[in-house]
Amino acid sequence: MLKLLSMVAAVIVWGLLSLTLPPEIFPGPIETARTLWGEVVGGQVWTDLAMTMLRVVGGLVIALMLGVPVGVLMGLSRRAEGILDVWVMIGLTVPSLCYAIMAFMWFGLNEGAAIIAIAVTAAPSITINIWEGVKNVDTRLVAMARVFEASRPAIVRRVLMPQIFPYVMASARFGLGIIWKITVLVELIGRPNGVGFKLFYWYQLADMRQVLAWTLLFTIIMLLIELLILKPIERRIFAWRPQVAV
Amino acid sequence: MNSVIEVASLRKSFTGRDGTSRAVLKDLDLQVGAGEFLCILGPSGCGKSTLLNVLAGLDKVYEGQARVSGGRVGYLFQEPRLLPWLTAEGNLDFALDSCKVEPSRRSELKSRYLAMTGLSDYRDYYPHQISGGMAQRLALVRALCVEPGILLMDEPFSGLDEITARRIRSDLLSIWEETRKTIVFVTHNAYEACFLADRILVMLGGAFRQEVRVPIARPRSYDDPAVFQLSRDVIKAFGDEIDREPAPSAIPLTEPSLVDDLDRHAAARMNI
Ligand SMILES: Nc1ncnc2c1ncn2[C@@H]1O[C@H](COP(=O)(O)OP(=O)(O)OP(=O)(O)O)[C@@H](O)[C@H]1O
Ligand SMILES: [Mg+2]
Repeated sequence: MLKLLSMVAAVIVWGLLSLTLPPEIFPGPIETARTLWGEVVGGQVWTDLAMTMLRVVGGLVIALMLGVPVGVLMGLSRRAEGILDVWVMIGLTVPSLCYAIMAFMWFGLNEGAAIIAIAVTAAPSITINIWEGVKNVDTRLVAMARVFEASRPAIVRRVLMPQIFPYVMASARFGLGIIWKITVLVELIGRPNGVGFKLFYWYQLADMRQVLAWTLLFTIIMLLIELLILKPIERRIFAWRPQVAV
Repeated sequence: MNSVIEVASLRKSFTGRDGTSRAVLKDLDLQVGAGEFLCILGPSGCGKSTLLNVLAGLDKVYEGQARVSGGRVGYLFQEPRLLPWLTAEGNLDFALDSCKVEPSRRSELKSRYLAMTGLSDYRDYYPHQISGGMAQRLALVRALCVEPGILLMDEPFSGLDEITARRIRSDLLSIWEETRKTIVFVTHNAYEACFLADRILVMLGGAFRQEVRVPIARPRSYDDPAVFQLSRDVIKAFGDEIDREPAPSAIPLTEPSLVDDLDRHAAARMNI
């Protein structure tokens, strides 16, 4: 309920602010929504949206496949931590634009290169999250499981994984936030379709109505994913957790 | 009697942050017979948990011998160590699965020990939904229901209210009399030690200072004046030990807690 109210408030603020500039430069919410509706009815939206989603999901999956094992390794082994932590820092520091340029230059202007650039950008922050999580594993619970003669695989599955899983979840969300942004950038410089491509296209035509309409579309999709997919998963998995009152 | 626990010249030291090593267990010798109820009585920080960790096989870095035979080792930790994402029953199932207890016997074992500790109605509660004392009792249920031959218990009742603790102590004794597990029970409560044990080892600064055999006949009553008398003697002997301690800096601080314990018990005995 509060969420809804705050969103309504944001739209009102947007409407008021848009009055300060001419509508060609800063269109208000109603006008933007109308433009968006026109695009949706036109039918072109879905290909672009689908392509963007494909890149986002592909990038996230690969980023998790890279980031989670490295993070686990770093959490478990001092030596791995010593060798890898500087690389994670470098990976985190290099601007995403550099990854995108390198990927397109080396692998060509294709879908694979785009997804690789997206995954490599997001992987270091996922690694850091998981690394932190593995370091925070409660070893006293592991000792308890050992006393009860739990086998190694059982300890991993029933004692370690449940402790690391919240961090995987958090890093997936966190990674997603990064990935949305980098995907748009990658599409802008190297793909012939997608939300980022469209944004750039309309920017070049200086059509702010379209630019804002696509931004709005993108934001709505992102919110829906958060509210309809991620939140429910999290609620289900963490049902056992106490509510924190601050 | 054949020994199921044999410890000889056990030494253990921890290395501090500054690289200095500090002896925590100093040349311990210990034999525990099959079916014996041994209490180790000592103040905080004297190395009791460290010793149990060695006996449980969790700590393998030590000098000397420590051999434990005689079946599965159950260890009731000083903290409950429940898995927070599992319900009370889920935590018991985790232990039963891990120890590969026959499925046909599980529900009977669970019900029996849950009933004993008064937790029957809390099977579906998560650890954060039960009180600290209940969590400790649940951990006791978990240790008992895998039917260990040797049970190591680290101050299991120190967080419980006196009435509950008293009841569970009696229950523990009846389980023990029935099943004759070997129990090593760590406590800093002299009265409890005298009520429970066949033999008490007084531990101070990482060494056993005294052995007290408890001659009180079983079954024992918690209000037996003999228990009270003996616990007073034990504490008195303890005090003498502390007086003789060459480096009195850290240790005397812990002595009042023993006396407090006794006073609380004496008070409880008079009131209830
Ligand atoms: N992992 C560790 N690293 C360094 N020192 C430790 C470690 N574990 C225990 N010690 C030290 O060993 C000593 C004995 O600790 P231990 O936990 O065995 O005490 P205890 O007799 O169980 O005390 P309490 O009654 O308070 O539980 C303490 O001085 C403690 O500081
Ligand atoms: Mg201890």
